[in-house]
Amino acid sequence: MNSGTILLVEDNPDDVMFTLRAFKRNKIFNEIVVARDGEVASDLLFPANESEALTPALVLLDVNLPKVDGLQILERIRSHPRTAGLPVVVLTTSNEERDIVQSYRLGANSFVRKPVMFDEFVNATKVLGVYWLLVNEPAPAPRIESHQQ
Amino acid sequence: MALLDHTSAVIYMRDLDGRYLLVNGEFERLFDVRRDDLVGLTDHDLFPQEVADNFRANDLAAIAHGRPVELEETAPSNTGTRTYVTVKFPLMDDDGEPYAICGISTDITARKKAEQEVIRLNEELEERVRQRTAELEASTRELDAFAYSVSHDLRAPLRSLAGYSEVIREDYADMLDETGRNYLHRIEVNTGRMSQMIDDLLNLSRTTRAALRRRQVDISSLAGEVVAELRESHPDRNVQVSVADGLTAEGDPHLIRLVLHNLLSNAWKFTARRDPAVIDVVSGDAGVLVVRDNGDGFDMRYAGKLFDPFQRLHAASDFEGSGIGLAIVQRIVQRHGGRIWATSDVGQGATFHFTLNSLGGTAGIEEQT
Repeated sequence: MNSGTILLVEDNPDDVMFTLRAFKRNKIFNEIVVARDGEVASDLLFPANESEALTPALVLLDVNLPKVDGLQILERIRSHPRTAGLPVVVLTTSNEERDIVQSYRLGANSFVRKPVMFDEFVNATKVLGVYWLLVNEPAPAPRIESHQQ
Repeated sequence: MALLDHTSAVIYMRDLDGRYLLVNGEFERLFDVRRDDLVGLTDHDLFPQEVADNFRANDLAAIAHGRPVELEETAPSNTGTRTYVTVKFPLMDDDGEPYAICGISTDITARKKAEQEVIRLNEELEERVRQRTAELEASTRELDAFAYSVSHDLRAPLRSLAGYSEVIREDYADMLDETGRNYLHRIEVNTGRMSQMIDDLLNLSRTTRAALRRRQVDISSLAGEVVAELRESHPDRNVQVSVADGLTAEGDPHLIRLVLHNLLSNAWKFTARRDPAVIDVVSGDAGVLVVRDNGDGFDMRYAGKLFDPFQRLHAASDFEGSGIGLAIVQRIVQRHGGRIWATSDVGQGATFHFTLNSLGGTAGIEEQT
C-alpha cells in the first residue's frame, strides 16, 4: 500500500516544510496533500460530491488547529464508514496524559509528540512512514455500492 | 445577714415549692427587687417562663441529689443576660429531710464573654487561613497552567529555529566556511538546551499539579531500585552505595521516587571524579532522611541558591545538567510539609537532609541562608 496518498493536516507552515523535507530525506515519495486547517481537511475528506472524496493511506493530524479542533476531525473520520478504518497518527506538542488519553479514546492509532530537534523529527517521520505505509496492514476498503450515474 | 450582703456573690434561698425565703443584697441590686417584695414569690414571678423553668429544674435536681450540685445558669438582669456558676444545695432539717434550697451564684459573665470572643476569633482566623490557602492553591494552579501552555507554545518556534538552522547547514553547505557551519551548530546546541529547559519546567509544574497520595513507603527498597537503575545505565562506573535497612516514610510513592532519583543521580554524577565513589542513604535524627556522597561538593556560601530552578553551582563543562533536579525535589518535599537542606565542603562531598512531614528535623535550620 505504499502508493497511497498521505494527508497532512497542519497549520504551521514551517512544520509543513520540515515534514515534506523529512519524507523526501527518507525517500518516501508518496503524494502528500496538505490541509492548513480542519475545515480544509473536512472538505477534502467529506466533500458534497462523494466521488471527489480523498481517501488517503495515512492521515497525519496536528491537534492544535485553528477553527475546527483537530480531535473533531478524528471523531468525524472514525464515524464515517468510508474512512473509519484509516490510520490516523496524532501529532502534537503536548505529551500531557489527558491529551494522550483523549486522542486514543477518540480512536487515534498513534500519538506522537513532535520533536524539537530536526534530526529527531526526520527519524520520527521515517519510522512513522515506514511503519504505516509499508509494514502495517491497512483495513480493507469498505464496499461502497455503486450508484447509477 | 450583713455578711451575705457584702459579698459579690448572689445568694438566695427558696423553699421546696420554689418560693423565696431569703435573698442577699447582690440579688436585690442585680434583679432590681427588694427582699420584702419577694415573700411568697417564685422564679416564675420574676423571670421569663423558660428561665424560671430552668431554675426550678436545677433546684429539684439538687434536692434529689441530696448533695451540692454545681452548674452554669444564665439569667436576664438589668444589665443584660448574665452567666453564673451556681452551687445549689439542699438545707436539711433535724430529721435529715430537705426543707429548702440554697443557691450561691458567682458572676462569670465577663469570663464567658472573653471565652466566646476567643472562640469567635479562632473561627475567624481559621476561615481566613482557609481562604488564604484556597487563594494560594488557586494562584499556584494558575501559574502552572500558564507555565504549561507557554511551554507548549514555545516548542513550536523553537522547532522552527532548530530546523531552519539545519536546513541552511545542509542546503548551503558549499557557501559556508567551517566557522559559519560551526555558528549554526551553536544555534542548534542552544535550541536543544532551551528545549530541555522547557521540558524541565513542565516536569517541575507537573510535580505541583499531581495529586498527592499518602502511603507507607519503603524508602530502603525504593532507593535500592533507583541505584539498580543507575548501575544499569552506567555500567562503567564503580560506585559503592550503602542503603540503611528499614527506612520508611509516609508520602506519595511516585513523588518520593522522584526525590530519591534526583538526589541519587546527583550524588552519582558528582562523584564521577572519585575512586572509589561512595554514596550512603541513612536516617538522621528524628526521622530525617540523609543522602550523602564523597563527590566534589559545593561552596556553602552559595547554599541558598542550591534549590533555585536552573541554578548551577558548577561550570557547565564540569558536570552536565540543566539544574532543575533540586528545584523539583524541594517542591515535592515542601508539598509533603517537609524540609530539605544540604551541607558540604568543597572537595569533601555533599550531604542532603530531608523530611516528608512537619515533625522532626530541627537541625540545620541555621545552616541554610
